[in-house]
Amino acid sequence: MNQHSAHSTGCFHCGLPITAGISFHAKLDGTDRNFCCLGCQSVCAAIFDAGLQSYYQRTPEGVLLAPPPEPPKDIEIYDFDEVQQEFIITSGELRDIHLLVEGIHCAACVWLIERGLKREPGVQLANVNLAAKRIHLRWNNNQTKLSTLIRALARIGYSAVPYDPENAEGVIKKANRGMLFRLFFAGFAMMNLIWISIALYSGANKGEFREFFHWMGFALATPTLLYAGYPFYRGAIGGLRVWRLTMDLPIAIGLSVTYAYSTYITVTANTIGEVYFDTVTNLIFVILIGRYLEGMFRHQALSATKRLLELQPRVATVIQDGKEQITLTRGVKLGDHVLIKPGYKVPVDGIVLEGKSAIDESMLSGESVPVSKSAGAKVFAGTVNANGALLVKVNSTLQNTTLSKIIRLVEEAQSSKAPIQRLADTIVPWFVLVTIICATLTYFIWNTENFEIALMAATSVLIITCPCALGMATPMSIAVASGLGAKHGILVKNGLVLETLSKATHFVFDKTGTLTEGKMSVAHRLTASNVVEEDILRSAAAVERYSEHGAAKAIIAESEAHQLNYRDVIVNAFSATAGLGVQADVNGETVLLGSTEWLIRNGIALNTGLQAQAQELEAQAMSCVFCALGGVHVAVFALADKLRDDAQQLVSELRSAGIGMTLLSGDRKAVADAIARQLGGMEVIAEVLPQDKDRVIQRLQQEGKVVAMVGDGINDAPALIRADVGIALGSGTDVSVESADIVLMHNGLDKVRLATMLSRRTLLTIKQNIGLSFLYNAIMVPLAMMAKVNPLIAAITMPISSLVVIGNAARIRNLFKNEKS
Amino acid sequence: MNVIYTLIPGMTFLGLVFFAIMIWAVKKGQYEDMEGNASRILQDDDEDMMP
Repeated sequence: MNQHSAHSTGCFHCGLPITAGISFHAKLDGTDRNFCCLGCQSVCAAIFDAGLQSYYQRTPEGVLLAPPPEPPKDIEIYDFDEVQQEFIITSGELRDIHLLVEGIHCAACVWLIERGLKREPGVQLANVNLAAKRIHLRWNNNQTKLSTLIRALARIGYSAVPYDPENAEGVIKKANRGMLFRLFFAGFAMMNLIWISIALYSGANKGEFREFFHWMGFALATPTLLYAGYPFYRGAIGGLRVWRLTMDLPIAIGLSVTYAYSTYITVTANTIGEVYFDTVTNLIFVILIGRYLEGMFRHQALSATKRLLELQPRVATVIQDGKEQITLTRGVKLGDHVLIKPGYKVPVDGIVLEGKSAIDESMLSGESVPVSKSAGAKVFAGTVNANGALLVKVNSTLQNTTLSKIIRLVEEAQSSKAPIQRLADTIVPWFVLVTIICATLTYFIWNTENFEIALMAATSVLIITCPCALGMATPMSIAVASGLGAKHGILVKNGLVLETLSKATHFVFDKTGTLTEGKMSVAHRLTASNVVEEDILRSAAAVERYSEHGAAKAIIAESEAHQLNYRDVIVNAFSATAGLGVQADVNGETVLLGSTEWLIRNGIALNTGLQAQAQELEAQAMSCVFCALGGVHVAVFALADKLRDDAQQLVSELRSAGIGMTLLSGDRKAVADAIARQLGGMEVIAEVLPQDKDRVIQRLQQEGKVVAMVGDGINDAPALIRADVGIALGSGTDVSVESADIVLMHNGLDKVRLATMLSRRTLLTIKQNIGLSFLYNAIMVPLAMMAKVNPLIAAITMPISSLVVIGNAARIRNLFKNEKS
Repeated sequence: MNVIYTLIPGMTFLGLVFFAIMIWAVKKGQYEDMEGNASRILQDDDEDMMP
């Protein structure tokens, strides 16, 4: 029992200092308590009301509680069976669910939550997982509702949302866990077998224990082969069914032959031959390590579609007979009137009937500037309504929305994409063929002399052509490269593309947000000759800070870049007219900022010199903001989306490497052309829709090019999947990150170059590794064919060949030694 | 030396048993929450039961 020491001075609930002047009190258990905020006060009151106040004695000394997190919005939707379906494990009256909880900090929270929930009627089980911050809840749906329980949690200061462990943790992780078990088992068997082998090598193979040790080896190797070796047999047979010789085949043949031969020696109590049980387990163990590494970098193919589906809100507010009614999006019909509140996602595609608002459409178009919408404008499912309520008439639902079309494109691209051809895959069939021919030859040549020796020599050829090194060549190099990439801001999600990227002959870039920063900035300032440029900029920024338009942010940023103190300028009578401009009084003078039309409407004559220059800039796809001061047109600000600092360098380096480039943009042709010109010219395909982006990639691939696509928006998702290598920027949308094979963190575009170098280095290492394993075989196979190989040589040389491959892969890090500048 | 006829198989079998126990424990979720249960045992839940 310990009392919070912080309670005497700070907030009784969370212990944070109480801001002087603002305080919240409550009389609890006869003592007056102070709180830092209303949240803490109400949570604490709820805890006392429930009689759970010993919570405060249970919090360990030194653990500071935090003010309660914001309760989740719209929890009623979780009462719909259709919504719950995704999360609950069992349906019917008794339901099981996992909730992800924010606000759990210590063991006392576990106690409080479990106590608090078990008091609610209908709760059968409430089990908190402190490490994962999750609750496993089982409740009777007839007695209580999920939303009631989530609300009860919110009352005592925890914010909970349903969570689907199957999807969140992924099937792949589960498969990897299975692989890990097999790996452990193989490791266990291998270590025990080593002792037995050492005993055999050191003389036991001649003495009275020979048979016993053979049988022990058999006892350990059999379960290892059946359990840990199962994936290889499954892979080999799966490959043979579709007439392909896979990497698994030589492994399976090697394992089977080695095991069968050793078993034959054991069972017949043969006194000449040797057993190779340790080789069987060694082989399984080492190759499983490679497999496990490979599995860690496998692509999660389905998650992109899932993220896209999550963008679509599950419920919509439909106006029926003048009343708001929350229904499932699935139930919304064409022609229904849907209300979209500020801050909410648009559930359907539709046309605005009433209201005015800015909508963030960045997830669809990649444009970061919100688009203003008023009556008659189209809105799209998945976009976010920023500031005003909109009444929308539905014109397409679920399967027909723009978002759904993108989802379908993504699915199509995923299903039709050709599998990645790995270097090792192209070599393996030949390798298998040569091995089998060598073994057969050995058998027939020796058979003319002695059957016994012929069998042994042929078997040892199969055993010694160790696919170990070959099996480790690719995964080990990719694992090292992926790990190093992650350290340097290149997240390789699909390791296999590292081989492909080095062969890329064509790069396709998205414009907005990829080559450019995706936000407006002032590119040129034109001022009339008789005024001070800085004064104009200061006044303009002072006025624009009251506006929410994208152009306003650019002008303010420009003013800040010049360290102008616009905040102290007094601005009166600010007013904005949507689509035209803003107006305000600064130091007694009227400042007008907006389009040419805005100035003309206010009776201001345009400065012909400025206007001519502005027209020139507009031809270069810049948008111009006209500024008038005291009734005189004095300045023009030309706004443009700025190129990323590193775009120029990347493009020129790619060009000098002889790589083709295409700029793909949904933007107007003039804008895209201007950007391409700044970068020294490249093929431009502008005004494209998401499905066109996908098609452009397809066309390039049909021309025989290996295409790498760099993008960041949802509209890039199908193209990112279609391309041989999809590269997304870390700042991009979740969907593009999920669709890509490589993600560049910290938005460094120059990382594209580093990624290309890394991939070249990786391919080189893979080639070296394959070469090394061939060298090993070139030495060992003739020895085996001469029947000169015994188990000791096999046991020593096989791990060495694997170690050499691992060591060579580790050398990839040298690439970054020079890069670390 | 004949003791190895029982000792080696015996120990190997014991190792297999431990391995099976470990996999069983992981699959049962015994390692899912290492912190919660450690502190849960220290919580006094029996106040109302005390005389």
